[in-house]
Amino acid sequence: MSVLRRLGLGGSLGLAVILTFALLAVAAPLLAPYPGQGMGDPNVTAKLTPPSAEFWLGTDHLGRDLLSRVIYGTRVSMSAGLMIVAVSLLVGLPVGLLAGYFGGWVDEALMRVTDVFLAFPALLLAVLMAAALGPGLLNSIVAVSVTWWPWYARMARAEVLVLRGQPYVEAARLMGVSHPRILIRHILPGAARPLLVQAALDFGPALLTASALSFLGLGVLPPTADWGKMVDEGRKFFPDRWWVSTAPGVAIFLLALAFSVLGDALRGREGGKRDDPS
Amino acid sequence: MNRREVLRSAALVALATPFAGNRWTMALAQDGARIFTLAYPTGFPDLDPATSFSNDGAVLANVYESLTRYIPGTDGAPATVNPLLAESWETSADGLTWTFRLRAGVKFHDGSDLTAEAVKGSIERTITIAGGAAFIWYAVTGIAAPDPQTVVFTLSSPQPLDVIAASGFAAWIISPAALDKDNAWFNAGNGAGTGPFTLDRYEPGQRVILNRFAGYWGGAPEGGFDTVAFEIVEDAVLDQSMIEGGQADWTYGLPYENLEALQANPDLSVLVNPSFETLFGMYNTKRAPLDRPKVRQALSLAFPYDDVIMAGTSGMGSRAMGVIPNGIWGHDPAAPVPNTDLDAARALLAEEGLADSGLELVMTYATSDQLESTAGELWKANLAQLGITLTLQPMAWEAQWQLAKADPATAQDIFVMYWWPTYVTPYDYLLNLFHSEESPVYNLGYYANPAFDALIDEAATLSGTDRARAEAMFIEAQRMVIADAAAVFMLDKPNIHIIRSDIKGYKDNAAYGHVVFVNDLNR
Repeated sequence: MSVLRRLGLGGSLGLAVILTFALLAVAAPLLAPYPGQGMGDPNVTAKLTPPSAEFWLGTDHLGRDLLSRVIYGTRVSMSAGLMIVAVSLLVGLPVGLLAGYFGGWVDEALMRVTDVFLAFPALLLAVLMAAALGPGLLNSIVAVSVTWWPWYARMARAEVLVLRGQPYVEAARLMGVSHPRILIRHILPGAARPLLVQAALDFGPALLTASALSFLGLGVLPPTADWGKMVDEGRKFFPDRWWVSTAPGVAIFLLALAFSVLGDALRGREGGKRDDPS
Repeated sequence: MNRREVLRSAALVALATPFAGNRWTMALAQDGARIFTLAYPTGFPDLDPATSFSNDGAVLANVYESLTRYIPGTDGAPATVNPLLAESWETSADGLTWTFRLRAGVKFHDGSDLTAEAVKGSIERTITIAGGAAFIWYAVTGIAAPDPQTVVFTLSSPQPLDVIAASGFAAWIISPAALDKDNAWFNAGNGAGTGPFTLDRYEPGQRVILNRFAGYWGGAPEGGFDTVAFEIVEDAVLDQSMIEGGQADWTYGLPYENLEALQANPDLSVLVNPSFETLFGMYNTKRAPLDRPKVRQALSLAFPYDDVIMAGTSGMGSRAMGVIPNGIWGHDPAAPVPNTDLDAARALLAEEGLADSGLELVMTYATSDQLESTAGELWKANLAQLGITLTLQPMAWEAQWQLAKADPATAQDIFVMYWWPTYVTPYDYLLNLFHSEESPVYNLGYYANPAFDALIDEAATLSGTDRARAEAMFIEAQRMVIADAAAVFMLDKPNIHIIRSDIKGYKDNAAYGHVVFVNDLNR
């Protein structure tokens, strides 16, 4: 229980919501009332049914159960968030390590590259990339990651600059330890920890950006369920059929809010490192 | 604390909420002035009558006029071509010479008279600029004005010039004073037509205001409108709230699913008519396995025609009888189009050795076109039962088109799009979509059939002189395409317009798409 006490009430609630969604994602085929419709099977005779005992959250324009769609959509949103953060970390961390450790022209060259990416508004760059690559889940993950990794590179570099001057690193260098070994054994562990915390915090914004791309028609291919796309599909019917957009919209809202609250709780403990990249 | 994530997630929900802006409650309504307001869901990219080739026709059709006007056929009556600026016309026996007699007493907005020279000048300007739909005049080799009321066209091949002159694009007649004006002049909001309204104000992307032309030859109906306001509102939710709230008198483009509620509203009339717009998917006939007609026939048998009409258009669309929609001459009400029959499809696939073969096909369509997406999703579900995986690939139109034009060997399996004619002729559909081409432009299934080519080319030359025979030949040609299953003919789109119930005299004319002839109306 000590973890929960450290997170406080808000953080604990956030964690609970996130774990619930994670459970939905993993056990979607067992939990969804209509797994086939969750994966895209049409059911046109029940088109746009309001919420009822049969369809708890109503149905969409092809008569598919929105509860099942939202549950299956959890998989896309969670995995998109995870992939974006992971890819960004895998690219940004090594770049930052190299730039910070070697300094000089390596640093200059790598940091100017990150500057190029940071010069564009993040969402705009993601939209441009996604439009150029064409719709598809993988493409949208790539598109968002392109805007995301420079932040990690910047952060890793700042950490390395501090660690590089530490006595234990200088000692290792004087003892003739090779550069790769110093980087991996002595600097990476220290530099990675704040980055991992930041990555956990970025999960929410990452899935929001991915949802925004889907909303704009640049995300998953139909008939895959995706929250952003579902909000878009229901948007035009909103005045008369509020439930179509509401169900996925509330899901996005809840999960992003949960990450935000959990992030605040964690950040409070770590001390604010930086603003998020959005 | 940083709340940006919270706000951003809330914004995604908020985007779905309709908000009634007061940008449209304009200070236009002076006392007593009768205003007809259109909530128009798209902008007007080009107001030059020579090159306009988009929704700008909605504005131009009230400011300019053409020699003739096309009135589509209905179930009771055949289609006709009515006089407009031309009072009468005749063609020579070989169909190569067309003589139009102009209406007397017609004035342009600048006060000058309509003359044969003005007609000749307008059409020559259009042909010279050669933009937009200027190709409709391709057969015209000369225009003569033997006297001020007579225009004579000479053609290189027989063409139905009365129908061509009724086109909603590239056929507008402009004042001689405007002949030397450039595209920018017209797009600055200047008009030079003979129509019932003058172009008063144009704010690109915002609105167009027209005012009644006192000298209009046709006069004004009792209770007719003094002012026409096109309010450009590119969000269907806002268009709907405007027409429901009485800020607009006419709109279109609302989701089919919302129309039921509008139909129940006594203040509104929802008009559902056939359109000339048809949705289909062209099969890649140049690549295995869709190079085999029986495989294509099987796919067409698996298409859920009725479900797509129900789910995609709330039952308002109609079965496509081939590619030529109802209301156009050459439409074939008895076309032998397939019905959904999964067992027959399965049998055909088995015959071709493709039973449960795990076949994978790619269908491309336009991003964010809900109807195309719905058609694809429902078809995919049916094909899955036959062991075929259909991948739905939404693409930006330009990208979709480029991919299809590049190389049939690496292109899509099924290309989904809409077609509607520039001027009303079955040749437009059959030539563009199925006539063999060296390098494909719109024949994106790469269909090539010399017998078909010869038949429609001959029918086209006959359509100026012997329309009945031409029609029979076009129908025969279309049946070839159906027998070969060159495409799956998904549905004919309904033409749906929503008007306030107190507007009288309104008639849809599918030949002109989303155009309102405001001078026919009164309140």
